[in-house]
Amino acid sequence: MMSDHMIPAAVLDEVRRDLRPVRPLAAPLVRALIVLPVGIALLAGLPLSWGLRRNIGELAPWASWGLSGLESLAGLLIVGAALSEAVPGRRLSARAVTLTLLAGALVPAALMLITSWLAPAEEPPGVTVRFAIECFDQILLWAMPAVAVPAWLAARAWPERPAVAGAFYGLGTGVMADAGARLFCWVSSPLHVLLSHGGAIVAVTIGGAFVATLVDRWRPRPRVRASAPGQDGS
Amino acid sequence: MAGDERLVPLMIAYQAGRIDAFEALHLALADDVRRFFAASVPEPSAVRDLAQQTFLELHRARHTYRPPRPVRPWVFGIAVNVRRRHRREAMSRARREADAPAVMADAPAPSPDVVGTVAIRRALEQIPAGRRRAWILHHVHGFSFEEIGARLGIGAGAAKLRSSRAMRGLRALLTGDRGRDDE
Repeated sequence: MMSDHMIPAAVLDEVRRDLRPVRPLAAPLVRALIVLPVGIALLAGLPLSWGLRRNIGELAPWASWGLSGLESLAGLLIVGAALSEAVPGRRLSARAVTLTLLAGALVPAALMLITSWLAPAEEPPGVTVRFAIECFDQILLWAMPAVAVPAWLAARAWPERPAVAGAFYGLGTGVMADAGARLFCWVSSPLHVLLSHGGAIVAVTIGGAFVATLVDRWRPRPRVRASAPGQDGS
Repeated sequence: MAGDERLVPLMIAYQAGRIDAFEALHLALADDVRRFFAASVPEPSAVRDLAQQTFLELHRARHTYRPPRPVRPWVFGIAVNVRRRHRREAMSRARREADAPAVMADAPAPSPDVVGTVAIRRALEQIPAGRRRAWILHHVHGFSFEEIGARLGIGAGAAKLRSSRAMRGLRALLTGDRGRDDE
């Protein structure tokens, strides 16, 4: 490989044109705090618009708002992992990816088990599918617009694996939306929660991966102007 | 090869707006970046363009570097993205050309450099992915085995073993020596 220490004129011009000092990005978890208002909106917005679950009296405050707050926090941490993955050269290890996916699956599942143990409630016969569709739709309806915030934060960096970063912020946002959904949905049967709530989280995860891939494809490339002979360092 | 400890203050100065820091970074990294692309892109002109794009992208994304993290993984993360975009565009171009009526032009014969690069690339494709990655990170990007281990989530010793096995496999493939290339 030929050694070449001359900076191409096009690069040097571009760098000189915009050499303002920049502040380094904050740590991923600090940046994830920008998503905190979104998490609060998802946590409070869903039960405020649909009303609190009718059997909320059977759950102590720690089991209703407390556990939902914890689930929101878990979602926020997953978004933090996505923002870490989004920085060039900071790909998460296979182990970290697995642990994050497991956390995204296990936290809502654990809350489902606790809730169904504290306040067991089956949906009335004949409305199983309607209830499942309603919960699925609501989680999706609230979470997908909310994905825009972490998507913007991740796009400010430039993920090496956009689909992975997107899936993670989709998963985090889905988990945060589920934290709000469990405050209005009074059904705690595992089948409903797994299929409807879990299915919606999976859908938001896939949606996040799709959004990140699209954002990556639309990222404008820097213009490389043709260099005069001898200016390109060759 | 410049150590990362020397690159960190340069990167901080570059983020503060100093052109001399950018020039020093370019001096320290340009050859490695070109080597990175030369390992996977046969055309020298494309290698030059991609290296140029990498530094333009690096400039645009300079705020995404967080001191005092190592500079090289960040730079090569950007290079990986530039290569990914290049491949996507090349595939899309190839699809468009396949759809259009084929017009065969008299293509010039490839240079020996290009032939050699293609041979290495083809041989690399036959090396198992884990070993290939360790070999590329060490011999093309210049990462230490500790850095490779951290990146791949394995120990430095395992990274070294993978790289040396890949090297043995490559040698066997390129020289036709089918001796003992694996344990």
